[in-house]
Amino acid sequence: MIERLVHWSRVKSPWVLHLNTGACNACDIEILAALMPRFDLERFGILLKGTPRHADVIICTGPVTRQNRDRVVRIYEQVPDPKFVVAVGACAMSGCVYRGAYNSMGGVDQVLPVNAYIPGCPIRPDALIDGVVKLLNSLK
Amino acid sequence: MNAETIVEKITSEIKDKIQETALTAPRRINVKVDREQLLAVLQYLKDQFGFTHLATISGVDLGEYFEVVYHMSNAIATVNVRILTPRSDPKIPSTCSVIPGAILYERELQDMFGLVVQNIPDPRPLLLADDWPAGEYPLRKDWHFNRPDEIIPGGK
Repeated sequence: MIERLVHWSRVKSPWVLHLNTGACNACDIEILAALMPRFDLERFGILLKGTPRHADVIICTGPVTRQNRDRVVRIYEQVPDPKFVVAVGACAMSGCVYRGAYNSMGGVDQVLPVNAYIPGCPIRPDALIDGVVKLLNSLK
Repeated sequence: MNAETIVEKITSEIKDKIQETALTAPRRINVKVDREQLLAVLQYLKDQFGFTHLATISGVDLGEYFEVVYHMSNAIATVNVRILTPRSDPKIPSTCSVIPGAILYERELQDMFGLVVQNIPDPRPLLLADDWPAGEYPLRKDWHFNRPDEIIPGGK
């Protein structure tokens, strides 16, 4: 009974952490646009949190830089289980134009296990909503 | 005063300190200097013509030599002061005594090209990651990046 309640509340109201792993800021602006009243991601119960310890879902933007790698892993380890990672934008999926650069590790999946990929450069807020809803549906 | 008069003045007043002066484009002056004379020339340009704005310092890998270009501007013209330093002995003097803001560019040159900036007030690394191995200079032409193997999730 308690488990069902926890699962229900997780699907109905995931708390997300917005993590910039080295992005150019374009995806970050679109994520903020998705959370604002025009697109209103909060109507799905999604709430932006400021700390990884309160979050269920990490929204990663940008390629993982070499300097950032250890910090990203550390933030991931602070998130309580079960945790989900969403790679947002072309850079977070594959490294994009930074692929093979001396200071870039490639996409987020080189460092963390990724649950959902959302393509776009930058992503549309609609695409972010679609991706997050698909992730939540896969949990049901 | 315009760029032509600046070139004339430079060639007449500090002829012994410079190797070559040319007007390569409108309002762009090219000055080649020995690295020992660099500080004196920059000080002269600053005091005489008000070249106080250092836009950037660029490094060029020419193979046997490194060329270091100081891009200085005033209200009238831009002057590119070029020095050469051999690859076997890549030392350049620090210009922080003339232009204090040059320190960031000089630290970047140390990171990216492995140039040794003498008398630099603060020689810490600037741009590269904390765990970057010593002796690897990514903007040198003979440096090759060995990319780590890519992990493909799902093993496809």
